[in-house]
Amino acid sequence: MSTTKTVANRAIKARSKGTPDRIQTDIFNAQAIIDQKIVENTIHHVAETEELSIADLPQGDISVPMNLWLDHKAELKIRDGVVAVQIAADEFPEDFSDEYSEIASIVLPMVSHVDGRSYSHAYKLRTRFNYKGEIRAIGDVKYDQLGFLSRSGCNAFELPEGESLETALKAFTEMSDVYQPSADGGALIFSRRRATH
Amino acid sequence: MYKYDAVDKTIVSDRVEQFRGQVSRHLSGELSATDLAPLRLRNGLYMQIHAHMLRVSIPYGLVSSEQMRALAQVSRQYDKGYGHFTTRQNIQFNWPELADVPDILQDLSNVEMHAIQTSGNCIRNISSDHYAGVATDEIVDPRPYCEIIRQWSTLHPEFYWLPRKFKIAVTGATEDRAAVKFHDIGLEVVLNNAKQVGFRVYVGGGLGRTPVIGKVIKEFLPREDILSYCEAILRVYNLHGRRDNKYKARIKILVNAMGIDDFRDEVDAEWSHFKDGELKLHDIDFETMQAFFPKPAYDDLEAGDDRIAKWRDLDNRFKAWYDNNTVEHIQPGYRIVNISLKEHGVAPGDVTDAQMDAIAVIAEQYSFAEIRVTHEQNLVLADIREQDLLEVWKALDAERLATPNIGSVNDMICCPGLDFCSLANASSISVAKQINEKFDDFEKLYDIGEVKLKMSGCMNACGHHHVGHIGILGVDKKGEEWYQLTVGGDATNNAALGTHLGKAIAKDKVSDAIGDILDVYKDMRTGDERLLDTFRRVGIDPFKEKVYAEDV
Repeated sequence: MSTTKTVANRAIKARSKGTPDRIQTDIFNAQAIIDQKIVENTIHHVAETEELSIADLPQGDISVPMNLWLDHKAELKIRDGVVAVQIAADEFPEDFSDEYSEIASIVLPMVSHVDGRSYSHAYKLRTRFNYKGEIRAIGDVKYDQLGFLSRSGCNAFELPEGESLETALKAFTEMSDVYQPSADGGALIFSRRRATH
Repeated sequence: MYKYDAVDKTIVSDRVEQFRGQVSRHLSGELSATDLAPLRLRNGLYMQIHAHMLRVSIPYGLVSSEQMRALAQVSRQYDKGYGHFTTRQNIQFNWPELADVPDILQDLSNVEMHAIQTSGNCIRNISSDHYAGVATDEIVDPRPYCEIIRQWSTLHPEFYWLPRKFKIAVTGATEDRAAVKFHDIGLEVVLNNAKQVGFRVYVGGGLGRTPVIGKVIKEFLPREDILSYCEAILRVYNLHGRRDNKYKARIKILVNAMGIDDFRDEVDAEWSHFKDGELKLHDIDFETMQAFFPKPAYDDLEAGDDRIAKWRDLDNRFKAWYDNNTVEHIQPGYRIVNISLKEHGVAPGDVTDAQMDAIAVIAEQYSFAEIRVTHEQNLVLADIREQDLLEVWKALDAERLATPNIGSVNDMICCPGLDFCSLANASSISVAKQINEKFDDFEKLYDIGEVKLKMSGCMNACGHHHVGHIGILGVDKKGEEWYQLTVGGDATNNAALGTHLGKAIAKDKVSDAIGDILDVYKDMRTGDERLLDTFRRVGIDPFKEKVYAEDV
């Protein structure tokens, strides 16, 4: 009896919402970098608040907080346009990994670029869950983060207003060699050296 | 020692150009000081009280004569003619101009050096045993393993923005000279029953504000798995380490909060996903790397040398140096020479450009052109023929590098303190001088024997005071500098944190208090006991009574 109760309680445990690790206001940028090219952007990123409901969503292409997706996926799936799902730094890709095939784009909102959790999220999405769709980093993401985010599995980026996307494209070619594998399919330096022996 | 191949050269030179671009964008106003800060830190560049400070990486403390000359040249050309060797076996320059730093890094890259990840919340320089390859108690040479970990951890894209800095140390000997239990990850070589090389893995050790002795997470990790297992630990830490409070962000806090067993389970679960994947190392990888650290071309010699034995009898100064600053070598007819950077009146760990040049020459002449940096802020010439000891001593003495005080109270570890560091609460260097002045009678120092005295100017503990046989911590009390003393810390195999002596001591009374501690030791010691042993037998009380006797 008591065992059943514990399990039930765990199942209904509330997921935290609107933490400081989530974007605090909606984000929309006119342009994005996708696959190392500057393109027009259409996705409006909806911030998570305690009160956010499905009725509040704007028209057109959107990304929604993971909680909203988990609560309303049936309605979201029949919506017109892109519905991307956000995984905040304090959430985990494991939390809805069975649904990746239905999601065209996963958004990693970075409240602060010195918080490296999103790099591990991107890495796991690519290597463990074999996610082939777009992984887009948004928020406090600038030129000097793009190289490593890209290696960790991100292929789309939105930079804050005022940052030059043209300049930022250089980030992808700054480092012409690496020591270790990540989500970019690179080999470990020692296995490369092994091959030449 | 390790020589760069085309890949290493490309990575280091691309990195220099990347940083040159970042500095140039900053100077032109495109990149804010706030956004530059974490980038410059990951290239070793701090902002201190007076100026920038550049910390250059010396992987596991190994430096060639050519590199030492390049460091001397950097200090001459871009700094004030000296450098400071650190407790992480690196070197710091205290006065470079921001605009010059890309050029400094380029000059250093020409001699296969860099400053990558010597600061910032990322994986730092891998530290190790400064007697690697020559120690009589060595099981396995740790340097190939250090270099393998260095390469894997360099510019690892996923672990560049960790909750806090991350330090890894490796030891391959029975006596731990690398303080592996005080690192985020400590690797201690062990052989299994089949004589296969593996590591006992410690996690969550560290000093700083919350000193913690590392816990064993794995009793035997086969050597082929070191990279994948480290990666699993790093990923768990990156995802779960605290980021809301920088003082609670080190992995030791996470390990303590989860408990070592749950932490181990989490790491093993993570590890299971890629344990036998691309990161698995092969025997050939170790063999290839070991070939960079060959046994030097030693002469075939008998142990002992009559001329040196005679000079030891004739010259007290030479004898004192021989007894205190040289150590037994694994090869007959050779000794390990410690170069003391604790000359009376000089900040511990500081060397001038001329001294660096002289050390480079001495190493070329007598020690296969290699020098090691110790985590006690001294240098080591690892391979000196016994028959050359007199000449080496004279050459070092001429440069004031032969102070015969290794392991004594005068051989103290000391952070830069309030004189340079913006974090410090109190000065360290002036207290070091005060102690040097009080204990200037070397015969008395030798009678006292081994005392590891370690001093930090604030609770960040760069001077490792928690693990000093005597530890000194500078604190700020209403704008005045005061000092808290501990006794009985130990960074080696029987790792222990020092016990608090009592309330803080005024700045001008620090050396007197140390004198009291040593007097108690001299009164109470039996046989060959060191201070540490006596403390372990009698406890803190006798020391406390003597130091605070006047207050009663």
